[in-house]
Amino acid sequence: MSDIGQIRQSAISAAFLGDLDACRFHLGRADVTDHERAWLYCQLSEALYHNGIHDNAVECARIAFDLQPEKEEIANLCAWVFSNCGRHEEAAAAYERLLVIRSQWAAGHRHASGSFAAAGQFDHAIFHGRKASDLDPHSFEFAFHAACLLEAAGRHAQAVDYFMRAAALDPADACVLRHLSAALFALERGEQAVALALRAVTLAPSDRLSALHATELLLRTERYDEAAAIILDAVAVHREDHVALRLLSATQILRGRAEEALEAIDRAITLAPETTEYLLHRANLLYRLGRLEEAAETFGRAAALDPSNPDTKRSQLTVYFDSGRFIEALAVGGELIRTSPDNEEYAQAVLQVLNRRFEMLDGDYVVLSERALRSPRQLRPQPTIFAALHTQARVIYALIIRETRTRFADSKLGYGWALLEPVLHILMLSVVFAVLMRGRPPIGNEFFIFYYTGIIPYHLFVHTSSNMTYAITGNLSLLQLPLVSTFDVIMARGLVELLTDTLVAVILLAGFGAIGLGVLPHDLPALSASVIAVWLLGCGLGFINAVLNAFFKSWDKIWAQLTRALYFCSGIFYVPGMMPDWVRDILVWNPILHAVDWFRSSFFPEYEPHWLDRSYLAIVAAVTVVAGLGFERALRRHLYEPL
Amino acid sequence: MITLDRVSKVYRTRSGRKTVLDNVNVTLESGHNFGILGVNGAGKSTLIRLLAGSEMPDRGAVRRYSRVSFPLGFGGTFHGALSGRENVTFVARVYGAEVRAVTEYVEGFAELGEYFHMPVNTYSAGMRARLAFATCLAIDFDVYLIDEVTEVGDQRFRRKCAEAFRERTLRSDIILVTHNVHTLRQYCDRGAILDNGELTLFDDIGMALGRYHRMVQESL
Repeated sequence: MSDIGQIRQSAISAAFLGDLDACRFHLGRADVTDHERAWLYCQLSEALYHNGIHDNAVECARIAFDLQPEKEEIANLCAWVFSNCGRHEEAAAAYERLLVIRSQWAAGHRHASGSFAAAGQFDHAIFHGRKASDLDPHSFEFAFHAACLLEAAGRHAQAVDYFMRAAALDPADACVLRHLSAALFALERGEQAVALALRAVTLAPSDRLSALHATELLLRTERYDEAAAIILDAVAVHREDHVALRLLSATQILRGRAEEALEAIDRAITLAPETTEYLLHRANLLYRLGRLEEAAETFGRAAALDPSNPDTKRSQLTVYFDSGRFIEALAVGGELIRTSPDNEEYAQAVLQVLNRRFEMLDGDYVVLSERALRSPRQLRPQPTIFAALHTQARVIYALIIRETRTRFADSKLGYGWALLEPVLHILMLSVVFAVLMRGRPPIGNEFFIFYYTGIIPYHLFVHTSSNMTYAITGNLSLLQLPLVSTFDVIMARGLVELLTDTLVAVILLAGFGAIGLGVLPHDLPALSASVIAVWLLGCGLGFINAVLNAFFKSWDKIWAQLTRALYFCSGIFYVPGMMPDWVRDILVWNPILHAVDWFRSSFFPEYEPHWLDRSYLAIVAAVTVVAGLGFERALRRHLYEPL
Repeated sequence: MITLDRVSKVYRTRSGRKTVLDNVNVTLESGHNFGILGVNGAGKSTLIRLLAGSEMPDRGAVRRYSRVSFPLGFGGTFHGALSGRENVTFVARVYGAEVRAVTEYVEGFAELGEYFHMPVNTYSAGMRARLAFATCLAIDFDVYLIDEVTEVGDQRFRRKCAEAFRERTLRSDIILVTHNVHTLRQYCDRGAILDNGELTLFDDIGMALGRYHRMVQESL
């Protein structure tokens, strides 16, 4: 033992001299056991620490800990030295080692937690912090420590549990209440949070942090007047507190007291003139108050303080722009573009300034609103029905003229095509049936006339119903004119077809006369009636088609197929009398067939088919017209979108 | 004078239904030029089309005691396959105006040159706007509805338009939608703010602008 006493003495004196090597030499002597050596190193480390030689103290503690980490008193002392010398990771390791031996040691867990937290290992820190508080639930400090760690890690619900524990141990501690309140607010338990924050203020009326916290919560829960009462008290106590003044300013804005808000932020800026955020706040406030000059000046100060923040400059630009100072706005805009050349919004803003500047260059823009001398025009009466009809007639007339221009706009033949189509059609049918089949027409002597009487009503129906189909989709631009309605464009197309096909029919008849096939209808009223009836049928279906095509873009294709089928079912190149009775009984459901036979019978007096039912066609036409017009009127508002 | 009598209008957009007007009762008096303010997407263009009659309200009635122009804006009212001249003729006929006088005025004002006789499809956006502008001026409307087109064309043409409008405002009113504060102050003496289905009238454009600025600031 005296040996060890000697060794210790010589080692300690060597250590005092700062001679760690000599010290080691003494302690490394073979006749010292590991335990004694470790103990001696510990002693030495402690002595070194007390003498302020921290590096060497750490060095010795490391040696001791390496020698006998499992010994409680050694680990404890080493941990203490590590911790005090700022070697938190090693301290944490040492405490962990100790806790293997004494797992129920609450203070040890608390130390370990502190060391882990200082070393930045928060998961471990939280684990040990909670363990410490759980082992010794009556320690205020342990509970508060664990809660703060949990709160910092964003684990609000668990933090609340430990803050509650701390608050139960010391209900008068404002700091705990404040923290608990913040955690509860993060959990969206606003009511409780505010109540606790207010209690914290009551407990410690002069505590600045409690007041700031309570004010902030009250503002967030829109209890502005209570917030104002607290923050005003706080400002009265802490006269030099610029954070409180900034909060007061925000409170006053929310209460709609802009002037007082401005006064508060001005005081804050006097106390902390270098804070950019305060200047920005003040500038926004001035802008809101309409004091553009001062706002611009304040934004300028903020921009000078923090030249790297483009948002400040952007705000400055807006203010300059709104106060008409385009030159300054342009200067700021130039800097913006230089610092953030790829920001589209900035570029847009600068472009706007440039445009305005252009307008100002000449300066002879006339102010137009000064027209006090002008007497307002006389008001016009609401249009009567007659006037409205007159306008509509005018519109339809204009549309008809326009339609005739565009009807065949795509083909070079233009209107010639309207004439050529039925001529070719009749010629083809005549050639096929007359030459190839060497037959005679079922009625009359001339193939031309017979096919003519079939083609004309059929074409009138197909042209009318098909061309009206595109009335809405093809006239979207015209429908933007307020006076032009969907009814007008559809109706105009129908009328164009009636006019065109009637004209074509007359010209063809004249042509037949010219080549010596002179046939005139013997019953003009019947002819007109059949034409009107089939046109009305076409119109009714045309309205329905136009509406359907506005909703279903390929309806026109379906309609084209239907009309092609009708071509074979309408008795154009035959008379229904040639068909077996059962076929004819089906065919007579087709109203076009009646139209063709009606038309035909007005040409050939001897042709008076017993299946011809004129009233059937008339009724079907009337019903379709009513349905088509009703359909259009019902869906009028949904037929097209504004361009 | 245009009266909105319990007018409601809801618009369907990709993001859902948007109320432009919600049971609005206002009268835009004649003898005043109105500037319409509202954030993007508030429905200013729809309002202009309702005033014009290009669009019908969902409920209520828009009564016009004046001859109101078609909305002068970016949307086309011209048929692409027809020439400028034919289009102008059409508009003149629709409004019952003297066709010859209108086309001559437009030809002189719009400065389209040979393009006046070519299909509108071949026009640039600026040329289309010039044609629309000139057509609108050529017809004697009581109220002109303008939706953001005062920025059209080069500076000289803009000045020409302003000049023409100055002369026109001696007789007619203007209802103007623009983001350009300067233009609003120049042309309008009264203002209206369209916000969330409400249309608020102001007797002074300055008041309207001030209120609007505060509104925009608060929403930021």
